[in-house]
Formats: sequence, C-alpha cells, structure tokens
Amino acid sequence: MRHFRFPPQLFRLVLLTLAIVGAYLVARTLLTPQSFGEYGWYRGSALAEIASRTPVFAGKKACAECHADIAQKMAQSEHKTFSCEACHGANREHAMDHDVVPAKVPDSYCLRCHEGNPSRPSWIKQIVVKDHYGEKCSDCHLPHQPTQSP
Amino acid sequence: MTSQLTNAATEVMPAFTGYVYPNEATAHPIWSVLIVVYPYITGLVAGAFIMASLVRVFRVKALEPVYRFSLLTALAFLLCAPLPLLCHLGHPERCFEILMTPHLTSPMAVFGFVYAWYLMAVLLLELWFDYRHDLVVWSKTESGFKGILYRLLTVGVTDLSEPAVKLDARMGKILSIVGIPSAFLLHGYVGFIFGSIKANPWWGNPLMPIIFILSAMSSGIALCVFNYQVLTWVRRREMNMRCLDTMAMFLFYALVVDAAVEALDWLHRAFAAEEGFQVLQVMIREKLFYTLSVGQALVGTLLPFLLLGSLQLLRRRVPEVVRRRMIFSSAAMILVGVLAMRWNVVMGGQLFSKSLRGVMSHKFDFTGGEGWLMGLFLLILPFIILAMLLRLFLSERLPSSEPGPHSAAAASLP
Amino acid sequence: MKTQFNRRSALARLGATIAGALALPVARKAKAAVQYFLVSSGAPKGYDPKDHKWLICVDATKCIGCGLCAEACKKENGVPEGPYFRTWIERYIITKPKPGSEETRGETLVDSPDGGMHGFPECPVPKDQIEQSFFVPKLCNLCEHPPCVQVCPVGAAFKAPDGAVLIDPDYCIGCGFCVQACPYGARFLNPITHTAEKCTLCYHRITRGLKPACVEICPAEARIFGDLKHLAPDDPLQQFYETHRTQVLKPYLGTEPRVLYAGLDEEVR
Repeated sequence: MRHFRFPPQLFRLVLLTLAIVGAYLVARTLLTPQSFGEYGWYRGSALAEIASRTPVFAGKKACAECHADIAQKMAQSEHKTFSCEACHGANREHAMDHDVVPAKVPDSYCLRCHEGNPSRPSWIKQIVVKDHYGEKCSDCHLPHQPTQSP
Repeated sequence: MTSQLTNAATEVMPAFTGYVYPNEATAHPIWSVLIVVYPYITGLVAGAFIMASLVRVFRVKALEPVYRFSLLTALAFLLCAPLPLLCHLGHPERCFEILMTPHLTSPMAVFGFVYAWYLMAVLLLELWFDYRHDLVVWSKTESGFKGILYRLLTVGVTDLSEPAVKLDARMGKILSIVGIPSAFLLHGYVGFIFGSIKANPWWGNPLMPIIFILSAMSSGIALCVFNYQVLTWVRRREMNMRCLDTMAMFLFYALVVDAAVEALDWLHRAFAAEEGFQVLQVMIREKLFYTLSVGQALVGTLLPFLLLGSLQLLRRRVPEVVRRRMIFSSAAMILVGVLAMRWNVVMGGQLFSKSLRGVMSHKFDFTGGEGWLMGLFLLILPFIILAMLLRLFLSERLPSSEPGPHSAAAASLP
Repeated sequence: MKTQFNRRSALARLGATIAGALALPVARKAKAAVQYFLVSSGAPKGYDPKDHKWLICVDATKCIGCGLCAEACKKENGVPEGPYFRTWIERYIITKPKPGSEETRGETLVDSPDGGMHGFPECPVPKDQIEQSFFVPKLCNLCEHPPCVQVCPVGAAFKAPDGAVLIDPDYCIGCGFCVQACPYGARFLNPITHTAEKCTLCYHRITRGLKPACVEICPAEARIFGDLKHLAPDDPLQQFYETHRTQVLKPYLGTEPRVLYAGLDEEVR
C-alpha cells in the first residue's frame, strides 16, 4: 500500500484559508454593531437615534395650552382644520420659552391658499386679486374666523 | 411673489424637458462616470479569464502563448475592479460594512463575496498553481526585492517532486473549470445590479446579466488581442500569427453572439413597446445618439464584424501585415464599443425620469472625485499594474524553469 | 523535520486565534457597558416600535396646492436647499383635446416647481382649455415590499416594525442604489451628509405623540395620519378608507404601497 502524504502545497492553502476565514469571523464579531439584528437586518438602535431629533413644529396642542381662547374660536370657524403653525410658522421655540416672540404673519399670506387657480378644487373659496375689494385681507376678514369682520 | 420664486427655480435646472420628479433634478447623476468604468473593468476581467480557460479547459493549443498573459491581465484588472465603486461611495470609510453585515437580498452586497471568491479562490489560486514551480526556481536564482517576493509567494512550500508538480497541473485544471462559471457569476452579478432595478424600464430586464456576460467576453478577448499586439511591439518580438488568428476567430464568434443577443433585446423592447417605451425612444434619438448608434452599433459592432468576418473567410489571402492591422483595429474598436455600451446602460438609465414624463441632462465634472479625470485614471491604472505584473512574472530575463507546456510557451512569448 | 516544526507553529497560531475569539464576548460586554454610560441617545423613553403601525393616506381631491407641507417638511427635517424633497406636490393639467381629434383628452402637463413648496405659478394653459387640473401630494409610499430596502447592501435601509421605512444615517455608505431602486423618486442623496435620505414619517415627532409635520400643517386635511394598532372609533384614518375608493401608485411593480390615495387620475404615476 502506498503511503499517503497530504500534499504540502494543499496543506499550506488549507492553513491560509482557515486564517483568512478566521480573520473574517473575528473582524465580523468586532465590527458588527451591538444592536444589529435586534428587529431585523439593521441596527436596532438606529430607531432611537432617528427619533432623537428635536421637533421644530410644536403642534396644535401645545399652542392651545396657552391660547385656549383662540383655539376655541377657531374650532367653530371655517378654519377649524388649521394648525396654528400653518400660518404662524414653526414656533416650538416660542412654546418652550414664551419670551421668544413669534414672527408676524405677512398680510398677503391668505393668498397662498385663496388665490384663484384652476388647479384648486372648487370647495375652497378663491378670489381673483384684482377683482376683489380692499387692500388688506384683515381689513374685512378675521383670520381666525374668516366669515366674520373685525 | 410665488411666480418669482418658481422662475428662479426653473433657472437652476433648465436642462430638463417634460416632468421629472423633484429629487431627480440633481445636477450630477447619482451614478457617475465611475459606475461606467466599474462594469467595464469587471467585464474585461471575466473576458480575459474565459480566454485563458480556452487553453486549459478546451485545450485550444494555438492560444497557449497567451495563457499566462491573459490570466495576468485578468488579475491586473480584477485588482482595480472595486476601486471605482469605492471612490463613488458617499462614505468609503464605511465600505467594510458590505462584508460585515451583507444584506443578502442586495446584488451589490453579494458582489463583495463573489468578488472575494473569484479573486482569492479562483484567479490567484490558478495563477499560484501554474506558477508554483517557477516561483520555487526563481526564489533560488533571484535576489533582492524580487527574490523576497518570490520567496513569499511560494508560501514556504518548495516541494518540486514529480507528484507535487503533477498535482499543481491538476489543480490548475480544476480551478479553470470552476473559474468559468465563477467568471460568469462575477460579471452576471454586475449585470444583475442593473437588471434587478424594476423601477427603471431601461435596466429592469432579465436579459441584462446575459448581455453583460457576452459583451464582457468580446471585450475581454479584444483586450487580450490588443495587449498582446502592443506587448510584442514593445518587446520587439516576432508575433505568433497562429495564436493571433485564433484569438481573432474567438473574438469574432464572441462578437456575433453578443450582437445577436443585444439585437434580440432591442427587438423585444421595440415590439413589446411597454409603458416607458416612448420616453426611451426620445432618449435614444436625442441623448444617446452618439454613444449608441455611432459608438456601440457602428464602431463597436458593425465595423469589427465586417473586418473580422472577412478575415474568417479570406484569411489565407490577406497578407500578414494587413491582417495584423485589421485585427488590431477591430480589437480597439470593440474595446471602445463595449465602453460605449456600458455608458449607454449606466447613463441611459439615469437620463429619463421614473415618472416616464421627461428626460434630463446631467453635468459631468472634469476634475473631482467622480470626474472624467478620475474615470480615466481608473481605466489606466490596470494597465500600469499589468505592466508591473509582466515585469515580475512574464519577464524575458527570468530563466524558464521547466519544459512544460505552459511555462515554455510563456517564455517563448513576449 | 522542518515541516513538522512549521506545522506546530501554525497550530499554535490557530490556538491563539481561537483563544482570541473566546475572549471576544468579554470585550464586547465591556464595550457595551462603556456605551451604556457614555452614549445617551436622547430618544423618547418608553416608545415600543412593535406596538404601533403608522400610516399616512392622501385624499388628493382635498389638496389645494398651497405647498405648506413641502415647506414644513424641509424645515422640520433640516432638508438641504435644492432638488431634495422628502415630500412634494405635483400639479397636473390635462388639456381639452383638439377639436375633431376624436380623443377624450389632450396633453398632460405636470410640474412641481421647487417641489411646490412655494406654491405654483399661474396656470400655463388658459382656463377654457383645461379639461382637468389637480394637485397630488407625494411622499414615501411605505411599500410592503420596499425595493429600496431590498437593494441596500449593508442593511442601512430598513422597514421598522412600526411601518416606517427608515435609513440609518450612521450606517449608510452612500452608494445610491436605493435612490435608483425607488420607483417613486422618494429618495435622494443628501449633498451634505452624503447619505441617502427619505421621508421618515417624522419619526422624531410620531414617537413623541405628535403628528408628522406635513400632516400637522396641511390646512385642507389632505393627508390623513394614524396608528393602525390604536385606531379610535372615530379615527380619521378609518373614516378615510371606509368612505373612499382608494388606489396606490404603480401597483404593477409589486411593491404594494401602503399609502392609499383617493381621487387619483390615471395620468398620475
């Protein structure tokens, strides 16, 4: 019977392969983030990190905490679906610190929604500026209760 | 007020016709010139490897002189294949994540493993088994840096007994056989990166991997022809016409199959004329005219087809010098044509909106990380590496060790 | 003799590797302890992603094209200026057919200047030549089978258990594959962070009990937001899908978008 000798070049290759695969596995345990695979094929802690951003808009509830009177009036008006910040802009800073004064709403702001445009659905009231009376919207309309006049 | 603002917005992007999604209206394409270079280089690797396999697996004796040469060509290009991808990443420093947490549904993630397999388990091993005998001999005769390198590459195995050398030859053959499907896999996967994107009617196509493989074969063989002729000229050696003619023959057949399948793809698109066909037509007529009709179809396919085809018919009657020039120019044209094809695929898919309502134009920088210059550098880099590899492993000054089939041929040739 | 020696040293090396691998869990625990004390995420406590299933639906018939949503989204999420939008509004103008052309419709013109965030310019077609015109708000379609997640090579794009399709900004390598794979154009590469970005459903807001910025700000209630796991009896979301016939965008791609649209035209895609 011939004496079997494992070919030396193959032996070296097997060692090399083991070394490479081992190095890969070691690197993998070291470099895979801790929370990877918590919910799926991603970093579970990414959820909390994405959620950690600070909001910019305060939300209607926060406004109503202090401005309950206006909120109540609006709830009965045609603008009841509005968030305060739709017109007044993002005001979380003001909600957190009342000394921060919010910016004024520009006069022509109503036109952003109410300027006549054939693409707009017909349920929204639209005007053609040059055919409409008055210069300032707020001369005739209360923004919080648009059907009423000041 | 509003109209002023929108005017300003349209001035920023005058290069769009029709409607494109706002996120698509970026000045630069998401995938730049580098992503054109990437499948091109990978294709050259696969093609050059298959060319080498013709010798080992299909025993095409006439091609023996270029066996090692084409393997080294494949290696030089394979080493550069991931570079364009890497340079293109927004965060190249995070690239290890592809290997650490590969998302296996992603063609790009699997490419990392296919690449590693192909480089380490196929190409390097096949080269190592083929060169082992020589490396052992050279490590004894050469000194200095080269000597150290050869010694390192022997991995400490100096056994040159008859059974060991026989085993080398057998392993080489096995690896060649494993290598063919691996090469197909490597480049098929590159095709699949594009073919898998169903959102894009220009890319999402089951024929894409096949077209990529076939064009890879013709471009890889063309590269070997090109390099072989350049090398014999540089080294002032006699050209082996039998070898060159055989390469030209295989180049012709690869080209025919490639052109046929691509034509089939076109016919199918035109006949089915699915949802996006209208916008694709606009794109082909206006945006891709030069690279598609001129570059890919005329220069890359029709002219070499005529040149190589006539050589197949009239080989004996064409004088050697003319034949050499004809083959050389065909190879060069195929190389240009396949590059144009990669451009058409990669850029074509980014020239129209996924809303299928408009086409866009993109800006390409000359300098910068993703500019023309970088692309050109990445195209030249493999040739530099190849030159170094040739100096180290196909040098005329190295003693030819063994009168075996491959190494003898290698020494006799360039 | 020589080979044996080599073999032995190789085995020793192998042993050292194994010992190293065994020491790893200890090292990882130490690493975790350090992270626990040093890294505070500042995320809201007590939010369980498995206890929610968020959804936005769109009633296109209500959209008035004011663009407040697109503007609010950029502000809320710090989206860079330029062609980068997590949500946007499209305007469709379908003209009347040419007289005698025997067609039901003329041309379809679509635009979205600056994502519609500053409103829309005057209609380029005279009013009497318009057959149909409307606005359509667009956002991430929250696919059941998101192609963007499928192609992400590293697992940076994912579908959270609460239904949001998110991107891990610290893990994204910026390859752009997901941007190419999204059929709806809802993703972009952020030119500042060089990572992919998209609508997160304002994840930092909804986890605090707030509405997403676009939903909060929409004066016309064109966007309806809710939690499918905690639907109130009169929940607007439930009312919406009970009272409207809905459809999704590009259904033939098999992505199964969860964002339902009411009042779409066949031209919308």
